[in-house]
Amino acid sequence: MMLISKGFGRVINTPFVVLSAIVLWEFMVKLFNIPRFVLPSPSDIIATITRYPLYLISNLLETLYFATLGLCIAALSSMALSLLLAYSETIRGAIYPVIAGFNAIPRAALVPVLVIWFGLGSIPKILTAFLIAFFPILVPSLTAMITIEKEMWELLVSFGATKRQILVKVAIPRAMPYFLSSLQAGFTGALVGTVIAEMVASDRGLGYIILSSTSRLDTPLAFSCLVLLSIVALILSKILTVLERGVVRWAYRVGE
Amino acid sequence: MIKIETLVKLRGVSVSYRNGRQSLLAISDIDLDIVSEEILAVVGRSGCGKTTLLKVVAGLIKPDKGEVIFNQKMFNGRRRKVGMMFQSPLLLPWRTVLKNVLLPIEVMGESVNEYLERALELIKMTGLKNFENSYPWELSGGMQQRVALCRALIHRPQLLLLDEPFGSLDAITREEMWMLLQNVVMEERCSTVLVTHDIREAVLLADRIVVMGSRPGRIKAEVKISFESPRSLELQYTREFNEYVMMIKNMLGE
Repeated sequence: MMLISKGFGRVINTPFVVLSAIVLWEFMVKLFNIPRFVLPSPSDIIATITRYPLYLISNLLETLYFATLGLCIAALSSMALSLLLAYSETIRGAIYPVIAGFNAIPRAALVPVLVIWFGLGSIPKILTAFLIAFFPILVPSLTAMITIEKEMWELLVSFGATKRQILVKVAIPRAMPYFLSSLQAGFTGALVGTVIAEMVASDRGLGYIILSSTSRLDTPLAFSCLVLLSIVALILSKILTVLERGVVRWAYRVGE
Repeated sequence: MIKIETLVKLRGVSVSYRNGRQSLLAISDIDLDIVSEEILAVVGRSGCGKTTLLKVVAGLIKPDKGEVIFNQKMFNGRRRKVGMMFQSPLLLPWRTVLKNVLLPIEVMGESVNEYLERALELIKMTGLKNFENSYPWELSGGMQQRVALCRALIHRPQLLLLDEPFGSLDAITREEMWMLLQNVVMEERCSTVLVTHDIREAVLLADRIVVMGSRPGRIKAEVKISFESPRSLELQYTREFNEYVMMIKNMLGE
């Protein structure tokens, strides 16, 4: 990949594209005289962020906190569940269709119910983040675990490996790159979950600010939240990528 | 007088695979002895059940009929001392060469340190010195198969089971591996079962060749190869060698 899309060209291009998009946006808003409550200009957004930096960042951190908590629970439980499902074909046959079916439910629609059950506190936010992040993390790991080559099994069994040993020595390391890269998708999902829960039932967090500001037609504030969310999501996914490459170097066939 | 010991005895072994309601007989009524320190080749067309036969010997498949006696003991559980090698090297990409070789030791719960020296010795013997800490994907196909051979031998198995081990290698590498295998097996003094469809490979390496017919898999004939060991690659260009090859080819062709 590195050879095809030359690293140098990419570094030059991405900031350039982003910058020109921002300039174009600013220019169009000014040119067509678009009202602020329809589409604020980038300078409006920056001005809003600098006007309420503490307010925005504390709420951003709150949202991030719940999303990360939901993600961690999703990561741990999907790892545990994928091990269980990989271990027993019987359990997999019985449980997996139920989980897959559950995944088809639009989980945003569950938030009001979660609020009835757990109140307005932090639990609905964590749970929604968890519910959205869980499945995208489970599936790749589980698939990697249950697609070990038949001959690999036979080889291991031929020198006496038990099922548990095969899971520990082969299935888990094999699933690792898939697990780590699914954390990125999971994190995005968790963030969406928390924001939705904050919109439905909270008086804090960026989700709440977006909802309340748009109801007052304070669109620049809503956009500030969106921009902050995107930047943070981008940074965190970059961190996850670096982490992933470091931990499962072998999966990328990187020599020394 | 040299005492010929029988390591594995198969008597009336049949295996059938169930495919839905149908039951397909893979191998039928096989009688076979594997003698200590011999190289036994099993040749046959693809689908003749030679891999199934190998798996029965390895203890991976329990025969539907007949019995397998391993080292004078009726076989029931798993753990028999065999080393296996397949056409694909099946190395774990997150482990170095050395750690791949030591995998069976780890799994058996024995002390890795005790086998470290042996692992390094095997690695040296197979010409992989200085690659101990390389990763499998940094090696060529032939080198990966060498690692697989070391891994098959690390726990000093009495029986080495090879399922078309050189099938995916190029002709030159394959000949190198033939010589390597011959040396290693003589050094390690283990019995070897070599499943292959390469008749030349079988004639060059084996003391005895079992020719299998298909549907259901059964033993058609047994040929003793009377060349002295060790054998050299030049043997392939002698008349006797090619007579053996022709003979076995004809047996398969029927």
